Amino acid sequence: METEPDEYHDCFMQDGVLLKQAPSSHMTALNTIGTLYIYEVTRSGESCNKKLLLEWKQNDITVDSDVQYQEWAVVNTVQKRIRTLSENMPEHHNRSKSLKINFDEIKSFKVCNKNRQLTFYDGTSERICGFLFQHGNCEHLVGMLKTILKVGVSRRDKQIYVVYDSNSPEFQELNRSFAALNLKNEDNSFWHMFKHFKENPYEGSLGAFAKVTNFVYRSVEGSDPDILSRDELYSSITELDDGVPHSGGEYEVINALPQLPRRKEFPRCNPLTEEQWRSQFNSLGQLEDVDSIKNLIFRGGVSPTIRKEVWKFLLDYFPWDSTDLDRQQLINKKNEEYYVMKLQWKSISQKQEDNFSDYAQRKCQVIKDVNRTDRTLEFYAGDNNINIQTLGDILMTYVMYNFDLGYVQGMSDLLSPILWLMQDENDSFWCFVGFMEKVMSNFDIDQAGMKEQLTQLRVLLSFIDPVLANYLEKHDCGNMFFCFRWLLVWFKRELNQDDILRFWEVLWTGYPCHNFHLLVSVAILEHESEALMENDNGFTEILKYINELSGKLNMELMLNKAEGIYNQIKEADHLTDSVRSILGLPLIGTKNRGSEEQSSQQESPFESPDLSTPRTEPCCSVDNVRISPDEIAFEKSISSSFL
Amino acid sequence: MASRKKILLKVVILGESSVGKTSLMNQYVNRKFSNQYKATIGADFLTKEVTIDDRTVTMQIWDTAGQERFQSLGVAFYRGADCCVLVFDVTAPSTFKSLDSWRDEFLIQASPRDPENFPFVLLGNKDDLEPRAISAKRAQQWCQNKNNMPYFETSAKSGSNVEQAFLAIAKNALAQQNSTVDLYNEFPDQIKLTNTQKPSGSGDSCSC
Repeated sequence: METEPDEYHDCFMQDGVLLKQAPSSHMTALNTIGTLYIYEVTRSGESCNKKLLLEWKQNDITVDSDVQYQEWAVVNTVQKRIRTLSENMPEHHNRSKSLKINFDEIKSFKVCNKNRQLTFYDGTSERICGFLFQHGNCEHLVGMLKTILKVGVSRRDKQIYVVYDSNSPEFQELNRSFAALNLKNEDNSFWHMFKHFKENPYEGSLGAFAKVTNFVYRSVEGSDPDILSRDELYSSITELDDGVPHSGGEYEVINALPQLPRRKEFPRCNPLTEEQWRSQFNSLGQLEDVDSIKNLIFRGGVSPTIRKEVWKFLLDYFPWDSTDLDRQQLINKKNEEYYVMKLQWKSISQKQEDNFSDYAQRKCQVIKDVNRTDRTLEFYAGDNNINIQTLGDILMTYVMYNFDLGYVQGMSDLLSPILWLMQDENDSFWCFVGFMEKVMSNFDIDQAGMKEQLTQLRVLLSFIDPVLANYLEKHDCGNMFFCFRWLLVWFKRELNQDDILRFWEVLWTGYPCHNFHLLVSVAILEHESEALMENDNGFTEILKYINELSGKLNMELMLNKAEGIYNQIKEADHLTDSVRSILGLPLIGTKNRGSEEQSSQQESPFESPDLSTPRTEPCCSVDNVRISPDEIAFEKSISSSFL
Repeated sequence: MASRKKILLKVVILGESSVGKTSLMNQYVNRKFSNQYKATIGADFLTKEVTIDDRTVTMQIWDTAGQERFQSLGVAFYRGADCCVLVFDVTAPSTFKSLDSWRDEFLIQASPRDPENFPFVLLGNKDDLEPRAISAKRAQQWCQNKNNMPYFETSAKSGSNVEQAFLAIAKNALAQQNSTVDLYNEFPDQIKLTNTQKPSGSGDSCSC
């Protein structure tokens, strides 16, 4: 390689640049301050051979350009993916005074940390180097780079700029297949799994992605997952072996891992106080600022002293804009209505009942269930408990109110805390009606609502924790049935009474989005993902584990994480309409945008026709590989052997 | 060779709501009874090690929700079952009437390889309670028409006959598993599905 320069001139210079990542030859220069230059070099003997170079020089070096130039390290990955030094300087003599990067090498770069950090990647190898800009930021340099290189913003991550280079055979190869991978550093245990890439490119590549993501998101607390993931990914897919044909090509490399914005913390606040609540009413007894009230409730719940009153609003018994007078009239009207309906069934004779099997069945089920609802609570304990009687009366009246739905198991669980709080039959009934309006579809006769929610949960989990979603999919848990109880009765069986009151009132606000309880579920699953994926757990073990979480969940932490997840989703670049629609976010028509929407749709285990694009495959969640839907399972690729 | 292999028998308990499925499972596994069990939502299971003919096997007993509406979820829980236990409440006629539909639904959803010979065991529970609505004779007649399904009358509350019933369930499950994997040789005739289980009449289960 000719490295004799003829002449060069500066195009760009910026000082105060810390070397954050560098090839091993420059390890000693890491975290030292230097200056970044862009040069144009014209080589002697080769007319019109002008070449641009990027150079970082350590600050304490006295620059003598002619000499210095010979000490540049040329990072060359074109042939063997080995970084080489210029011929005049053997490797062990390299003093790490400067680092030179050939623009041909750069396949992508990433700007992060508020434009203060810039990392270069060569696309088929490891990251080349990274810099931290201590004075100002790298915007000017990025502007320069955009004029020098043909770049585009990555579809996956706005922070990543991809350099288009159609001439690179490696790059093309990379875009076609993982099949030809042949890693050299097999003794590195982390990458041991890539050994079977050649035999089983599909399994191998997915296993790799699962592990990469797992490694990045789970094992490296505190480090930058974005940088790490790219780093590990690129080093995993380096070293293409040209001689090996790849199979089929039913998958395709796109270009980067989808990256979620960093998770933020949302610790819960103090409950809405009586003072705050009262101050919101005007002279007519109307609430002035409903949104801010709901927001306070979402953040911290409701103080027990005003809970009874606030719940009537949250459960749409009292309209939010009602006046004192409106409510007084409403109570009277609803009271009458309730007792009319109660009388309807109370007056059915035994003979009528015997001839009215639909009614008798409902009544029988109600009686069975109220007698085993929260009997450990003092309020419902003991024989001939009047509150059990009331619980049954309200549920029977609800049967008359909505005979088609009738009574379905789980409803008594939903009513129990309401009656416990209200201690009033009429109020409890109408609040229960409001709760049922929110969860009606959970009790569909064909379970369509539950199946849809389980599918939605899977879609959301795939978006947030593709590794776990992938694992579940491949271990017969893709139907998410183990979360059935969570969703049917909104964690009633998982939380104690105090927590359930708080949890429900938070969810009833409808903040910050639709189906927030699904995000809570995602938060728990993600929190437990290591345990869930232990020992090659299958459906049985996972169901057991989930059931045994009952009584052990930290409700505040769940809400904190779920809100963090919501914000990640909202800000994610690769947010799809399928996720948006689940959360009730405005749709923007991503149907034909990017690769993610074209990924083969997994057939829903429930044949739910109205759900658009459940993206559940591990590959499309990771978004680097596309797989034909008929590919068979590949448990082994992500089995415990890697853990 | 198979004798060294760990054996797991999956047993699914089905029947109308409130016939005592959860209670039977807990009585058998934990020897405890509580009248504070809540209605089962979704599914759960308990495991118990049992010795059958000098072989230690693990029984995995699945308990599911009883309301008909939740039957469609069974497919996730029934798969791979080695025996299905049908339960009714001897004091509640409607729970007996629905046995056919539970049996049919199980066969549809679990889709065992040989539905004709898939082992079911019938338990008439709550035989400590009065008044009785379904006589032992009536239950046995139903069983005869169902490939001589073994029948036991039990009380999850007192524990009466529960151990015997589950032993029969385990044996049937084991036989089913062996027949599925073609290991007849190791288990000669002692665990035939049909003839050896003498249905227990109400007389010998009345310990209350």
